[in-house]
Order: sequence, then structure tokens, then C-alpha cells
Amino acid sequence: MEPLEGKIIVKSSSSISHYGVRLTVNGSVNLQIRGGSAGIIESLYGVLKPISILNKSTEVRPSGKIGLGTTEIPFSMFLRQPGKDNLERFYETFHGANISAQYLVTVDIIRGYLHKTLSATVEFIIESDKDDLLERPVSPEMVIFYITQDTQRHPLLLELKSGGFRVTGKMSTQCSLSDPITGELTVEASAVPIYSIDIHLLRVESILLGEKIVTETSLIQSTQIADGDVCHNMTLPIYIILPRLLTCPTILAGPFSIEFKVSVVISFQSQLYKLHPKSDPTTPTLWTAMESLPLELVRTR
Amino acid sequence: MEFRPRNYIAEQQSHALPRLRAQNHPLSAPSSPLLSQVAVADHGNNDFFDPLRRSDNNATVSKDDFQGHENTSSETSSQLPTKEWMSFKRFLMQRFPVSKMVSISSISNVIMKGAKAYDKSSTSMHLEELEDPEKYAEEGVKVITRQEYVSRLHELKDEINRSWRANDRVTSLKLSIKVARLLMDTSILQFYPTLFVLAMDIMDMLGDMVWERIMWKAEFAEDGTRLCSLPDNFQASDICSDAKETCNNWFCKIGSIRELLPRIYLELALLPCWRFLVDKPEDCVQRLVMMTRGLADPLASAYCRLYMAYCAQKLPSCDIGYLVKCVNDIKILVMRIISAKETTQGNITNNRRLLITLMEPTIEYIMKCIFKDASQRQVGNVLVELGLGMNQVELFGSFSCLSIVLHHLLKELPAEVVTSSAVEILHTIECSNDYSFDQCLNYRLLGFRLSERKSRRDIVHAVVDKVTQVMSERNSLDEYLKVVDAYVDIVLQNQMDNHLNTILGGISKRAYNKVVTEDELASLQSILVKLLTHFKVVENVFTLNHFLEILDIMYGSSQCIVNMHILNMATRNGSISDPTSIQLLFEISQNLHDDGDFLNMKDDDNQPARLISRFIHMVDYGTEMERHLAFLVECRGAFSSFNELKETLVHSSNCLAIKALKDAKKHLSFVKSCIAFSEVTLPSISAWVKQFYLYLETAEVALLCDLVSHSDGLIDSAINCLLSLDLMDGSRTSIDVEGILSAIQKLCSHLVMVPGNSEQGVTYFPNNILSLVNSRSWMTPRMRTRVFRTILTLTATLSQNKLPYHADHGEIPGNDLLFFGDSSYLRELVSFAEYVLQNLVDTVQQEPSQVTMPFTILLYKLTILDFTDMMLNKAARGRMALEACNCIASSFMEILTGHGSLISI
Repeated sequence: MEPLEGKIIVKSSSSISHYGVRLTVNGSVNLQIRGGSAGIIESLYGVLKPISILNKSTEVRPSGKIGLGTTEIPFSMFLRQPGKDNLERFYETFHGANISAQYLVTVDIIRGYLHKTLSATVEFIIESDKDDLLERPVSPEMVIFYITQDTQRHPLLLELKSGGFRVTGKMSTQCSLSDPITGELTVEASAVPIYSIDIHLLRVESILLGEKIVTETSLIQSTQIADGDVCHNMTLPIYIILPRLLTCPTILAGPFSIEFKVSVVISFQSQLYKLHPKSDPTTPTLWTAMESLPLELVRTR
Repeated sequence: MEFRPRNYIAEQQSHALPRLRAQNHPLSAPSSPLLSQVAVADHGNNDFFDPLRRSDNNATVSKDDFQGHENTSSETSSQLPTKEWMSFKRFLMQRFPVSKMVSISSISNVIMKGAKAYDKSSTSMHLEELEDPEKYAEEGVKVITRQEYVSRLHELKDEINRSWRANDRVTSLKLSIKVARLLMDTSILQFYPTLFVLAMDIMDMLGDMVWERIMWKAEFAEDGTRLCSLPDNFQASDICSDAKETCNNWFCKIGSIRELLPRIYLELALLPCWRFLVDKPEDCVQRLVMMTRGLADPLASAYCRLYMAYCAQKLPSCDIGYLVKCVNDIKILVMRIISAKETTQGNITNNRRLLITLMEPTIEYIMKCIFKDASQRQVGNVLVELGLGMNQVELFGSFSCLSIVLHHLLKELPAEVVTSSAVEILHTIECSNDYSFDQCLNYRLLGFRLSERKSRRDIVHAVVDKVTQVMSERNSLDEYLKVVDAYVDIVLQNQMDNHLNTILGGISKRAYNKVVTEDELASLQSILVKLLTHFKVVENVFTLNHFLEILDIMYGSSQCIVNMHILNMATRNGSISDPTSIQLLFEISQNLHDDGDFLNMKDDDNQPARLISRFIHMVDYGTEMERHLAFLVECRGAFSSFNELKETLVHSSNCLAIKALKDAKKHLSFVKSCIAFSEVTLPSISAWVKQFYLYLETAEVALLCDLVSHSDGLIDSAINCLLSLDLMDGSRTSIDVEGILSAIQKLCSHLVMVPGNSEQGVTYFPNNILSLVNSRSWMTPRMRTRVFRTILTLTATLSQNKLPYHADHGEIPGNDLLFFGDSSYLRELVSFAEYVLQNLVDTVQQEPSQVTMPFTILLYKLTILDFTDMMLNKAARGRMALEACNCIASSFMEILTGHGSLISI
């Protein structure tokens, strides 16, 4: 793992005497319950105890004096001793709705009892160490899906039900964070003209709360792959670049998990659409058909 | 005073230059050195005028120039055929002009809201659009003018540019996405091409800016020091990770656009940037082609493919396979439009034809790209891919093809493929009959493509046979003409006379009893002109079946043009003597004359008049001279409004008279009628110079034919013609003066031949001229002296015992024979000469003396003349006096002392 490197810059109009400059790194997973499948009671609990990943402190400068003007103090710090078997797992930096994994570095200049300690905090980003990454390539396996009026568990418009439709396709279910999600999709038949076909990328954050698992699903990106009533039996490619800040490798830890899903949503042309314009794109409606597929995101070299 | 006797023959002999035989013809081609010089010059010119070479030079120069500049990159990225693209864009805008008003639907709210919209984040914008696309529809369609729309787009472009310069690249990107989103709205069909072009400008600009930025990142460090200089053909591995990161970020940002269409457009705009990340960016093009299939709107997706074809050219190498896929996809879209049931998609069905027309340029452009530099083998592959051929050998099977696609394919196919598989192509055309494109136009195009180069005889015959057979079943004249027009050249070149007959018959059958429309006229004109250019002799054209019928159904300017071609052709080779041809040409000329268009033209530009007069000039009835004269009379009646023609008529009748004269002696009455014809025709000629000379010419003819009284009358008329001069406007230029003088001189030289009339006096005509000169106020002294000198010379000549020349035939005796040794004749001449001399001296003296200069030459002359009484002190009237003296000296033996005053000037 690369060391954490940087420099502390002190700008001061007078010289500062101090009892040492300390650098503290802190990493933790914060869990918060809010909405999702949590009930009102659970929400009242609010913030759960954060899971600490890392807490380390070193002195970068012994007690002394910092002259006036601008002073730069460079530092370099290994977060994890090489060769040593580290038990704690370094989750990648992630900011979700309920779960966030955050790493902060704080510098403190301790100035005795009479003066307030000077301190500054900055966040730094952790990505999995390249050495730790899986050697095996991302499986090129594709999952085949088909969507018809019969695969839908929610009520559909009468003409959709009677007229019928069939959309088939395949999509990768394991995907490297640096690669796009690929696949293809074909509209084989549809009695009602199609309005749009979108691929929604969903994030599922789950937190173990007592014996209950509280799950929050949020839409992080939707990508249209068909606009309008496309020609039947023409293969449309699925090509979705993953948004960098909103994704991380799939994590299945004990107290919490971060997973991803894609759902293919077909909206049909309907008058009803105009009547309910504000509906959530992930909620099934009378004029949409959908299919969700799990997606495992991995960090690759 | 006495005239100086002269011996003209002796004088001529002594003055004539010795004649020597020349070794070379002065105009013959010069020897080799000059030739090679020309060749060298040609070679040199190439460097300047060959547009291809020139642009190439420029390109290398500019590349050199850019060495060390930051924007080498932009140059590289925009090196593709920009010019061609520019002209294509212009063509798009012009082809589909837009109505003034444009109604705006929801997606275009970037246009409506103007600057306020930018504050919102793109996601909120996007949500808004997602949520209430019908909001605006409910409020009623908003309408803004086209101009407003266009200027709003220009503003947006500026805005994008400005934010980019201010390092606010996110805003630039957001605005660009908004612009791309506008292309989703195809509701105003005709406006789409314009919108496309405007939006493309913006996309291109963004693409260039991103390319430049990443290029800069790749070549320069953060602090501005140059890290490396990338070659044009750099690899992804040459790029530093920082630049790659930036590039990747751009593609991530674009990837997060929800809507398919703007996502594709932006990726296309940034397409060249893939080169920073991967070594085979062509693969992206393949993916984009597939992605475009997700656009169901035919117009939007066709134009998207157009942009793709354009952008892909920016990549260093790109297979044409993707273009073929594009064409095939567009084909499916068009098929869908055609087969759509009338009721299903209201908006589309109403405008189906318009829609296809709007999509046409996209097919055209992509086809052009496919065949731009395709090899023979590639062409075969393309045809197979397009579903037209079984394999490389059988290029065109019995498959049908969408006629609009076929049309543009045929347009771009290499000529050798067209000629070698013409029969198969014809078959395909026959099979492809849908309303996306007029089948006839495909037949027509095949004809034009075939005539581009020489093809095998059997193929040509097979094609023409088939086409005539197919066309014989069509009753529309317009269609028939359009197709036939394309094949006329082939038919003519291959001497397929029976087909020519069929074609002409077909035209006249279809045009029978029908008003020919403008379009049809244009086709007819083209066909007839081709016919006329092919045949060498006009008679052969006249003998073609139906030709004259077809000519008859034409009217207006097309007919005029054809008529002019016919006349031009008829007057090309020698005389026209066939009476039927003459009659036909006369009628044609009459048609041409009666057409009002040409009457208002100036004489100089009046081509019909020139052609007709040329025709009249060329007419030759041989020995039937009476008939010829009758023809001239007829012409005079028919072409009264062409002035120029009358001259030709007079010339022709004069020629006729001379011809009759040479022929035999018996035609006196005929000659008289010829001259009478001229006499009658002459007064209506308006230009006095021409009139005068024609009078003189006719007088000469009359003289030759022993018609002295006619001749005298004509000379009178000529002098009268001069007399009437000042009745016209007073502004006469110096050229005119020269003209008048030379006319008078010519008259005088003619008078040498005219026998003196004893009743009117031998000096009757010179006298008339003299009085003419004296009575006209506009004659300057200088002009007068010159006229007087001319008259003096004339009288001196007339006094000789042997005149320098006589009327050619010699039937009319000259004055030398008539009055030989007649002292009264001489006296009359002398007294007249004295009178003229007096006039001359007076005129010279009227000229105020201005310049002081000694006239030694004059003095010398006068010494010779034994002129004692001279008091030459200061000669002021210069040349005038000198010339006068010169004239006097050559005319007289001695000069009376009274005239010394001339010398004393």
C-alpha cells in the first residue's frame, strides 16, 4: 500500500512555539438509518455506533518553534505496516445514503495550556491496494434475461397484458469499476409502442440492526438505451459507464453491506403517463415492465 | 493655274516596295525552343493552379508552422475534409428553407428560458424534463421566430466558448448537452436540418476544445514546460496518466447523460479523444452505430448517423463497414415509414414524403463516404453487405433495394462497376419500386452513369432495349422525357437509329394534344440539343422522324435555344442550297424573330439576329436568282425588327446583282430589281455610317452594271445621308469625326470612277460635298481643311489624261475617255479647284496662330514650286497649313501668287 504523503503548511504572522506537531489518521464506517425499509422506531435510533477501521497518530515534528511566514512540513506515513498481517479491513472510501466509509487526516499543533491547539482536518480517498486485488479476471459471464407480460409481478395495462410483448437480452453481472457494464437487448415483439427503455443502476445499502436488516435502495444513474418505438429484432447495445463517486466494490461485511443492481425498465406509450408524471422511475407502474439483475462490482488492476 | 500631270503607273512602280520571297511563313509554328518553353511554363503553372497539390502544400506548410505551437493538436483533429463538410452544411441549410416561425416544445426550454436556465444544475433540469414533458403542451405551443432560435443558438455557442475560456468547463459541457438535447425534437421537420447544422457547429467546437486540452495535458507539464511532442500517429501508450485521467473523466461525464441521443452526439464530438485512451478507437464507432439503433425517430437517427459518418473520418483509420451498417439501418427506418399504416402514427404519415426527403441528404453523404476511396474489392463487399449481391462475382442479384438507397448508391458507384454490371443494375432498378424515390429518376441516373464512359456494345444494347421497353409502358410525358434524356447520348453514340426513332416517336405520341409543362420543356430542350450536337449536317436532323413535330410543340425560351442551335448548325458549313431546308430554317428564324424576348436586346448581344443574318447570308439558290431575290424580299418582310438584318439583305442583293452580271448579259432587268430592292431597303437602316457605306456599295454595283442614273441617284442619297447627320444629336465624339472624314474620302475616291454628267456639270458631286461642308456648323476648321484637301486631290486626279482606276467592267468610260482633251472640262475643273483652294486658304487663316515655329520643310517645298512671293516669318497654323500645302503641291504645277497668303502664315 502506498504511504499517505503530503505537507502541512503553516502560515503565520508571528512565530509559534509548540509542544509537537501530531498527525492523526482516522477511518471509520458510519451507519445511519433513515428511510428505506426501516420503520419509524428504528429511525429514532438515528446514528449507529460507527465501525472504526483505523486510528493512528504520529508526531511529525518534536516540540520547538515555527517561524513566521509560510512553513512547510512534509510528511509520509504508512497506514498499514507492510508484511504485517493486518486484521482490520480497509473499505474503500464511499459516501452512500445510509453508509459512508470515510478517511480523515488531522494535524494538531499543541501549544501548551494557555493556547488553543491549532488543528486542520482533510479527507483522503482510499482505493483498494492493487496488490490485494483479485488476480482472476472479471468473469465474462452474461446473464440472459427476458421480459414479457408474464414475468411482471405488478399489474399492467389491459392492452399490454392482452397484446403482449417480449424483450430479451443479456448483461454482465460482474463488472470491474473501471469498465462499463455491457450487454445487449432486443425488442422481439410489442403490441403497444415502446416509449423508452432505460437501465437503472441501483445501490442497495443494508445495515444489520439487532436482528433486523435495514435496507435502503437508491437510484444512482439511469441510462436510456432506446428512445421511442425502436425497430423490432434489432440488437441494441447496453453500455453503461459507472459513475465514479457513487460506486464502490460490492461489500458484504458483517454489520453492513453495499450491493448493486441494475434494472431494465421498459415504458410503453400510454395516456396514463401524462396523468402521473411525477412517479419514481423505479416504482413499477401500469405502463412499465421491468427486470432487475444483481451486479457485483469489483476493483481490478 | 495648272494641274500637275501625273503618271500613276510609273509612280506606283517607283513607290512600291521590292517584293522578296520569304523563307518561312511569318505565322507558322516557331521552332522547338519556344515549344519547350511553353511546356516548362505549363509545368510551373501546375504548382499554382492544381487545387489538390496546392492544398497539400498548404497542409505541410501549416504543419511545419505549428511545430512549437500549442494548437498543433487542433490542427490534427480538424484536418479532415472540412471544406467538403462546410459545403455540405450549406447545402443542407439551403435545401430545406424554414418557415419563419418555429414552435418550441418542452425539450427546447434552454432556448426559451435563456440565460436563467443555467443556474439550475443539470440534474434538476433533467428531472424537470423527465417529469413534465407535457407541461408546455398544456400551456399551448410556444412560437418563436426562426431568427430568434438561430440567434439563441449562436448565443449559446458564445456562452460555451466563454465559460471554457474562463476555465468553467463543466458549464461548457452542460450547455453543450442542452444543445444536443435540442436535436431530440423533430416536431418541426423542415427545421431539423438547420438545427442539426447549428448544433453540429457547437458540438464540433466542444470536441476541438476538449481535444486541445487533453493534448496540452499530454504534451505539457502543469507549469507549462513541454514534456514531449506527440507525433500525429501517437499511440495511447504515449499519453501520460494525467492526460488519460482527464480524458477518462470526460467520457465518464458524458456517460452519465441519461438520454440516448445527446449521449451519442457528445461521444461523437469527443470521438477523436478515444485515441488518448485506446489504440483502436474504431471499435467505439462500431458500438455507437449499434447504440444509434436505439433512436426510434427516423429523422433524428438518420442525422445522428450523418454526424457519425463525419466524425469517424477524424479517426486515423476507419473501416467503412460501419457506414454500410448505417445505410442498412436507415434503410430499415425508411422501409418502416413506407410500410406504416395510414392510421397508426398520425404525425409521421402526414409527412412521410417530406420525411424521406429530409433523410435523403444523410443517405447521400454516407454513400459518398463509403465510395470515397473504395477499391474494387471493397465495392463488391459493400454491395454484398447492402444486400444487393450474392457474392463478389454476382454483384447485383435479383434483389430489390430501397429505391432512394439505390439511387445514391448508383450515384457513387465507380464507373467501371456501373458499366460492367449495367444490366444487373437495371434489373435491380426494375425490382425496386417504392415511393421513397421516383423509379424513373433511377433509370435516368443509370443512363447518365453509363454515358460517362464507353461500355461494351452488347451491354449498352441490352440496357437500352430494356429501358425503351419499360418506358414504352409509361404514359407520362415528363417521366418519359426524363429517362430518355439520359439515354439519348448513348443511343446516338452507338448509332442505334431504330431506338432513336422509337424515342422520338414516343415523345411525339405522349406530347400529342397536350400542353407541355416547364419541366418537360427543359428535358425536351436538353434532348434536342444533344441531337443537334451529335449530327454534323442539319438536313440529317430534319429528316429524322417526328423531329419537326417535336420542335413544333415547344415554345418559349427553350424553343428559342433549340432554334438557335439549329441555325448555328446550319450556318456552320458553307452555303445552304436545299430549298426545303431553306424553307424550314426560314420558319425557324421567323419563330425566333417573333419571340419577344430577343427584341429588347442590344444589337451587339443579339445572337438570334446574328444567326439569322448569317443564315440569310449563307442561303444560295444557285442559278435561281429570281427565287433568291424573292427570298430576300420575304426576309425583309419577316424580320423587320432586326436592324442588322437589313444590311445583310442589301449585301446579299448586291452580291446577287454582281453574280447576275458575271453570269451573262441578259439579266439587266434582274439586276435592276436587285438594285431597286437595295434602294428600297436602304432608307430603313438607322445607323448612318452603315447606311452611307451601303449606299456607296450599291452605287458601285449600279455603276458596274452600267446603271449610271441609278448610281448617281445613290450617290445623291449618300450625300443626303451625310447631310441629315446634324439632325441627330449634337454630341459627336472624335471617333465619329474620323468616321465622317473617312466616309467622305471614300466617297471622293468613288467619284473618280463616276463619269461626269454634262448636264449637271462635271463638278456636280464635289460641289455638293463642298456645300455640305460649308453649311455644317459642326465641322471644325481642321475637318474642313481635310475635306477640302480631299476634294482638291479629286479634281486634280480627274484632270489627268489617264485615271488611276476605272469601274471594273470598263463598260462605263471614265472621265479621262469621256472628256479627253476637252478644254472646257479642264477649265471647269480648274475654276472649281481655285474656288476650293480659296476656301481652303480661308479656313486655314481662320485658325488663330498660336505656335511659333519655322517651317523649313514648307520653305523647301515652296522653293521647288518656284514660289517667290513668300513671306514666311512665323508659321503658326502648323500642320494644317503644311498639309494643305503638301496637297496643293502635289496637285498643281504652279500656284498663283494670291495663294501665297497660305504660305505666309
